[in-house]
Amino acid sequence: MAFLARLGAPVRGFLEFLGDQAHLVLRTLRHALLLRTNQFGVVGGQLRLQVRFTGLDALWLIAGTALLLGAVTLIQAFSQLSGLGAENYIGTLMVLIILRELGPLLTAVLVIGRSATAIAAELGAMQLNGEVDALAAHGVNPYQYLLLPRWLGVLVSVFVLVVCFDAAALAGGFLVAKLKYGVTFGFFMESVRQALSNRDFAATLLKVFLFSGAITFHACHFGLGIHRSQTEIPQAVTKTVVSALVAVFSLDGLIAALLYF
Amino acid sequence: MLELSGLALDAPDGRRLLEGLDLAVPSGGNHLVTGPSGCGKSRLLRVIAGTERPAAGRVRVGGRDVWPGDGALGLAGRVRVGFAFASGGLLSNLTLRENLALPLRFLGMAPKEVEARVDEAMACLGLEPVASLRPHAVSASARRHGNLARVIALDPELILLDDPLEGLDAADRATALAVIGRWAEDPEKTLLIALEAPGPFAEVAPGRLDLRPLPPVLETP
Repeated sequence: MAFLARLGAPVRGFLEFLGDQAHLVLRTLRHALLLRTNQFGVVGGQLRLQVRFTGLDALWLIAGTALLLGAVTLIQAFSQLSGLGAENYIGTLMVLIILRELGPLLTAVLVIGRSATAIAAELGAMQLNGEVDALAAHGVNPYQYLLLPRWLGVLVSVFVLVVCFDAAALAGGFLVAKLKYGVTFGFFMESVRQALSNRDFAATLLKVFLFSGAITFHACHFGLGIHRSQTEIPQAVTKTVVSALVAVFSLDGLIAALLYF
Repeated sequence: MLELSGLALDAPDGRRLLEGLDLAVPSGGNHLVTGPSGCGKSRLLRVIAGTERPAAGRVRVGGRDVWPGDGALGLAGRVRVGFAFASGGLLSNLTLRENLALPLRFLGMAPKEVEARVDEAMACLGLEPVASLRPHAVSASARRHGNLARVIALDPELILLDDPLEGLDAADRATALAVIGRWAEDPEKTLLIALEAPGPFAEVAPGRLDLRPLPPVLETP
C-alpha cells in the first residue's frame, strides 16, 4: 500500500496541476469574452508592454542565435552532403532541422528564459504586495488586466520571434553556403521552397499557439500561487522554467508524432 | 448594502477565527469592526471585498452574492467597492496618479472625467507633489493617503477601511479623519472601518461589531 501511495501522490499532483492550468485557461477565455470595448485601451496598453518586452527586446538575441545556428548547421551538414554528392538536399536539411523543429523550440526556450521567469516573478511580487487583491477589489478584473494581455503578448511575440528566427537561420545558412561553397541565392531558396510544405506552416502555427499558452499559463500559475513570503519567488521562477520546458518539449513531441509520424 | 450570514473565517494556520457571524449593514450605514490584533478584522474586510474566500457562510454586497460566488469578480462593474488597505495595495509599477486612474479607466470612464476625479482626489489629500512618483519612492503616509485617494476618486458605494490612521502623523491623521467624516455623513455611502479600538471613530460610526478571539479547541487524549 505504501508503494502504491508513493506512486499515486505524484500522479494526483500532476492531474491537479493539469486541472488548475485548464481552469486558468478557461477562466481567462471566459473573461476575455466579457471584455467591453471601452476597456480595450487599458488592456491594450498592457499588451503593448508585454509585446515590447517579450518580442521586441528579444529580437536581436533571437536573430543572433538563429544566424549562428543556421551557419553552424550548414557548416556541419554541407561537408557530409557534398561528400555524398547530395548538395540538392541542402534545403530539405534546413527545413527539417531549423524551420520544422529548432525554430519554434529554441524560440520557446529563449522566451521561457527571458519572459516566463519575469512574468512569474512579477505576478508573485504583486500577489505578495496585495496588488492583485487591490485590483480585484476595485473592479479591475485580474484575468482581463493581468492574464489576458500577457497571453496575447506572448502569443504575438512568439509568432514574430519564430518568423525572425527562421529568417535569420536561413540567412546564416545561406551566407555559409555562398561564401564557402558558392551556392547562389536562387538555388538555395528554391531548395528550401521545395522542401517546405503546407503541413510545416500548420505545424509551426500550432506550435506557436500551444507553446505561448503553455509558457504564459505556467508562469501565471506559479507566480499567482505565491502567498506567504519573498523566498517563494525564486522557487516559483525555477518551477516555471522546469515545468514550462517539460510542457514545451512534450507538446513538440506530440505535434511531431501527430503530423509527421 | 451588506449582508453576512453564518460567516466563518479561518486563519492561514487553520485556526478558526470567526464562527456563525451574522451582520446586516443598510445602505448609508456606518459600522466599526473592532477587536485585538489577529482576531480576523482585516480578513473579514477582505472576505467582504471578495478577495478572500470564507470557510463557511454567505456574503452579499449590494444585493449580489459575493460568497458563495465569484468573489470580487461578481461585483466588478456592478457594485463599486473602495478598499483602503492597511499595507500595500498600490501597484508598484504605476505612479500614484496612474494607480488612482486605473480603476476609473477600467470602468470605461472618459479620460477627461478620469483626470478631473484624480486631480480632485490628489488635491484633497495633498498628494500633488508626489503624484508622478511610484509608491516605493514616497513616504509610508503618502502611500496610506494614496489608498484613500483611490477610494475618493472611485466614489464607491461601499467603503472598507483597514486601520486607516495607522502610521500617520497628527496632520495626516486630521486630513484622513476629515475625509472619513465626510464619507460617514454621506447617505449614499456605506462605511466599514476595522481597527483595534474605536478611538476617534466612536461618533462617526454608530454600528459596532466587536470581534473576540475564539477559545482554543482542546483535544482530549
